[in-house]
Amino acid sequence: MSYTRRGFLKLTGAGVACLSLSQLGFDLTEARAYATSLKTKGAKEVITICPFCSVSCHIIAHVRDGKLISTEGDPDFPINEGALCAKGAALLSMSRNEHRIKKPLYRAPYSEKWEEKDWDWVLSKIARRVKDTRDKELIEKNDKGQTVNRLDSMFLLGTSHASNEECALIHQAMRGLGVVHMDHQARI
Amino acid sequence: MSKAFLIDTTRCTACRGCQLACKEWYELPANKTKQVGTHQNPPDLNANNYKLVRFNEHLDGETITWNFFPDQCRHCIEPPCQGAADTVEEGAVIKDEATGAVIFTDKMAQFSTEDLDYVRESCPYDIPRWDAKTKRPAKCVMCIDRVREGMLPACVLACPTGTMNFGERSEMLALAKERLAKVKKDHPNAMLADQEDVSVIYLLAEAPERYHTKAVAQAPARNTRKQLFASVRSSLTSVSKS
Repeated sequence: MSYTRRGFLKLTGAGVACLSLSQLGFDLTEARAYATSLKTKGAKEVITICPFCSVSCHIIAHVRDGKLISTEGDPDFPINEGALCAKGAALLSMSRNEHRIKKPLYRAPYSEKWEEKDWDWVLSKIARRVKDTRDKELIEKNDKGQTVNRLDSMFLLGTSHASNEECALIHQAMRGLGVVHMDHQARI
Repeated sequence: MSKAFLIDTTRCTACRGCQLACKEWYELPANKTKQVGTHQNPPDLNANNYKLVRFNEHLDGETITWNFFPDQCRHCIEPPCQGAADTVEEGAVIKDEATGAVIFTDKMAQFSTEDLDYVRESCPYDIPRWDAKTKRPAKCVMCIDRVREGMLPACVLACPTGTMNFGERSEMLALAKERLAKVKKDHPNAMLADQEDVSVIYLLAEAPERYHTKAVAQAPARNTRKQLFASVRSSLTSVSKS
């Protein structure tokens, strides 16, 4: 017999419900420390969309007492059928991992150290660099004398965390500067 | 009827979705790693990784082949680790009859480092690891908490390619045979790894050593495992004491 992912859940779910604990084959108290009961049981299920690429896999976010306790692929969504790649599978960590960077870091040219900076400082610095680079390096005409207004020395790497509208704004801003080289984070 | 996995390595792209889904479900902390020239990361199974996608690269003439191997506990039909652990204390390793899952229990917290090493050495696939400080066992438990509730193991649910499959043992064996017949057309050396002895059956397209040194059991012992381990252990103990 063959079955789909959700089909498996329904079939065995019904089967397991009929079993008493003793029928599971061992004393549960004995193994309590390392084979605990289901941590998501009774938690609220919220369907969300993976933010990492344009496939937009659906993810079930389990919430208990207002806190996110688990994330996993949604088997009912026809695009991913419960599956996730390494990035999507690690969504829970994105919300709570202590190794995430929470403040802007700056490494000066030739320096080996990262320094914490505030947002105002880094945004001003980025704006300054962008303006200086464009003023210095904009190519107004090509070899044939045609107007191109092209900026070859800057590159944009897009992000899956931007919405459609944000992407449009970012794209227009880059085109306005003459940037022609753009790619997307999901491709690296 | 017990459960089984079929891990069809011919479909694996080494995305490591399974590895991360496992890590997230068990909320295991990060490992500090460094670039050592391979995408296999972390370099080995450890207290924070019950599952590891191994990357093995081969140069055949002008062709580069990558053999990916999502390594995990095989949940043996007759687990040598249970035989080994029983010589220290009965019930430290149990086998769940309903699923076939091999589970390390909290009784293992009393084991000495030597005992734990002994259990690890008994594994023909070199799977068990422990947290050095807490002695928390680090090994796949077949997501028994999920399976009991009728859910798929986290790694199987996450797999986007159909590499990871889970179900009744008879169904997995049937699927394994069907896939093997197809794969053999392009890969005459294709095989199922130790399918009679384990609940985690690997379909390999090439010879097992091209995937991992322990893709198939190293020197498997049959039937008299408990007696064998008991005898080996007593002789080892007497040697170390002499």
